[in-house]
Amino acid sequence: MADAKIANGAPPTRWQRFAQAITIPLLAVVLAMLVGAIIIVIAGANPLGGYTAMFRGALGTARGLVRTFEKATPLIFSGLAVAFAFKAGLFNIGAQGQLILGAIAAAYVGFAFEGLPPFVHLPLALAAGMLAGAIWGAIPGALKTFTGAHEVITTIMLNFVAINLTDYLANGPWKDRSPGNIVARTPAILPSAELPSIGVVPLGLLIAIGMAVLAWWVLANTTFGYEIRAVGLNPAAARYAGMSVGRTVIASMAISGLLAGLGGAVETLGIVGRYQPGFNTGLGFDGITIALLAQTSPLGVVPAALLFGVMRAGANQMQLYGVDAEIIGIVQGTMLLFVSAPIIIRKLFRLRAPEGGEEVVLSTGWGSSG
Amino acid sequence: MRKRTLLFILLSLLALLLAACGGSSEEPAAGGEESAQTTEETSGGEEAMTFKVGLVTDVGEIDDKSFNQSAWEGVLRAKEELGAEVDYIETKDAKDYEENIRLFADQGYNVIVTVGFALGEATAKMAEEYPDIYFIGVDQFQAPGTEKPNLAGLIFNEDKAGFLAGALAAQITKSGKIAAVLGTDLVPPVVAFKEGYEAGARYINPDIEIISTYHPGGLDVAFTDPEWGAATAKQAIDQGADVIFGAGGKTGNGALIEAASYEGVYCIGVDTDQWLTVPEARPCLVSSAMKLITPGVFDLVKMAKEGSFPSGNYVGEVGLAPFHDFEDDIPQEVKDKLKEIDEGLRNGTIETGYNPGG
Repeated sequence: MADAKIANGAPPTRWQRFAQAITIPLLAVVLAMLVGAIIIVIAGANPLGGYTAMFRGALGTARGLVRTFEKATPLIFSGLAVAFAFKAGLFNIGAQGQLILGAIAAAYVGFAFEGLPPFVHLPLALAAGMLAGAIWGAIPGALKTFTGAHEVITTIMLNFVAINLTDYLANGPWKDRSPGNIVARTPAILPSAELPSIGVVPLGLLIAIGMAVLAWWVLANTTFGYEIRAVGLNPAAARYAGMSVGRTVIASMAISGLLAGLGGAVETLGIVGRYQPGFNTGLGFDGITIALLAQTSPLGVVPAALLFGVMRAGANQMQLYGVDAEIIGIVQGTMLLFVSAPIIIRKLFRLRAPEGGEEVVLSTGWGSSG
Repeated sequence: MRKRTLLFILLSLLALLLAACGGSSEEPAAGGEESAQTTEETSGGEEAMTFKVGLVTDVGEIDDKSFNQSAWEGVLRAKEELGAEVDYIETKDAKDYEENIRLFADQGYNVIVTVGFALGEATAKMAEEYPDIYFIGVDQFQAPGTEKPNLAGLIFNEDKAGFLAGALAAQITKSGKIAAVLGTDLVPPVVAFKEGYEAGARYINPDIEIISTYHPGGLDVAFTDPEWGAATAKQAIDQGADVIFGAGGKTGNGALIEAASYEGVYCIGVDTDQWLTVPEARPCLVSSAMKLITPGVFDLVKMAKEGSFPSGNYVGEVGLAPFHDFEDDIPQEVKDKLKEIDEGLRNGTIETGYNPGG
């Protein structure tokens, strides 16, 4: 293991840090799949066959690959949203609400603004999604800054507000009034707002990867990114150093919401083609698991989300093979357990804890209002 | 050393798992398991061609004690009585409706049952793409002009079932106050149940007080919130209601179970005979407003097999479930009245007044 060599104070090389960073997530994935396999055996099915069916369904055909990419794309965004807030020491449970508001805002621009050329309409719809998400993210940031309300509570609450608001819009003023429709949903977006695919690769996936790189770059190479990390590691010290903690908290939450909202917009414009309640279920919440699996690294979010995409895309094939799709939920939940309690893995494999540095802090505690 | 031991244990566990799989891996892979079952089941059948029926659930489980389960039981009856080979896929993501239907279609299934109005659009699209496969859409209304020869929507007049429930409630209430605890009004059949229930109650007693409450949450929680259902039922009972109609999946079940803990309060279930599905509610459960999904699905599968498949809408039966333990408590005149209303609803002399889209 790489960390054995880091012992005597010598600063770890880039490669060693990388190896150290991915050890826990990789082991978490492997262990979680083992736990899943044991449960499959107990349930009387064949785990190897089940997993094979899953991977074959997700990666074995062009259609499977498209579906994997489609499933992974919104998860990259929601994972990025959660990871970005984490860097500022904020636990954004509200990615789901930010995402669906972004999804419905993009849908509205997509169906209501007629006569625009695609190169205007599509960016406008994406921007609407980003704006909606950013506003929804900024609210808990502002509440934290000005009133000290903990973002975990406020983001959870705002999820419910977002769900009911979007349900109301989709069943009220923005409802699809075309004849025969009785379902709560918006009209279909116009072709000029559709997000196309390039072969098997949805354009949304490329945007997602681009945003991951951008988020990583901002955090690593800009003053703003430095402030975010400083606030995340120690708000008191950041304030003492003359940084505006409140402003940073609001900005990080707004960007976090923006990323989630963009995810919703991409989902609406690229996959669903309209906003319909229930079609984005779980995307924001899976983002939490993905961000943690990625150890809150924006670049790590991409492979983590792709893994989830494989599981979501392959689950149906697995069912036909005779393995319940619930196994996927168990595997993902076990993964979350292992990455959020890395001490379990460290004890199991006798790994050394990384020395200092920016380790994932799962909770900022109730008293630590910025 | 201990680390090695642990690693060894894990590796041997892995090896064990692999070995456990080794036995069956000799069979043809990917879908091979399916065809293996096929040959097994059909070897006894007289027909050369297997008749395969697949079912795609809405987001939810196959054993939901409601829609998915009732439809699946219809398919299982087809397996028993028609020798069909059957399988199901539980939808986990609403975006997968088409994909899940396609999984069956690509494996040469003859009939594909899709459960729930949410799958309507995907089903219609797939019916067009696979004209040789019969599609049965449970709760999927086929709008005039859009009918397809290989697609039948199994629909129910929920308002009539609700009307019967309301008429029953109005006849057994002592306080003159009845209540309904409902899933969301985002789902039209729920609205139909409610409107029918209220109309049925007023048919018996125009002055009856009715406390109807829809779940305020979105589609993702409205049918899975038994706590809210229980709290709402309690509230209604506190206000003097003594009959509770629970219509809305687990939310409604929560209301029924809550009502069961009160003396002198009756409750009425929905969709299936909930005497069988929610035994906790038996102390209060007089009946259920049923949509007879199981026979509806079976009949349609049978018609598909016999080549007499109807296109467009196929209206399944609705009715009240047996009174079970309350058989002796319900006066004969109430039963006669319900029978009279049932006949009236069937021949059109009684109308529920529910008019969707109006």
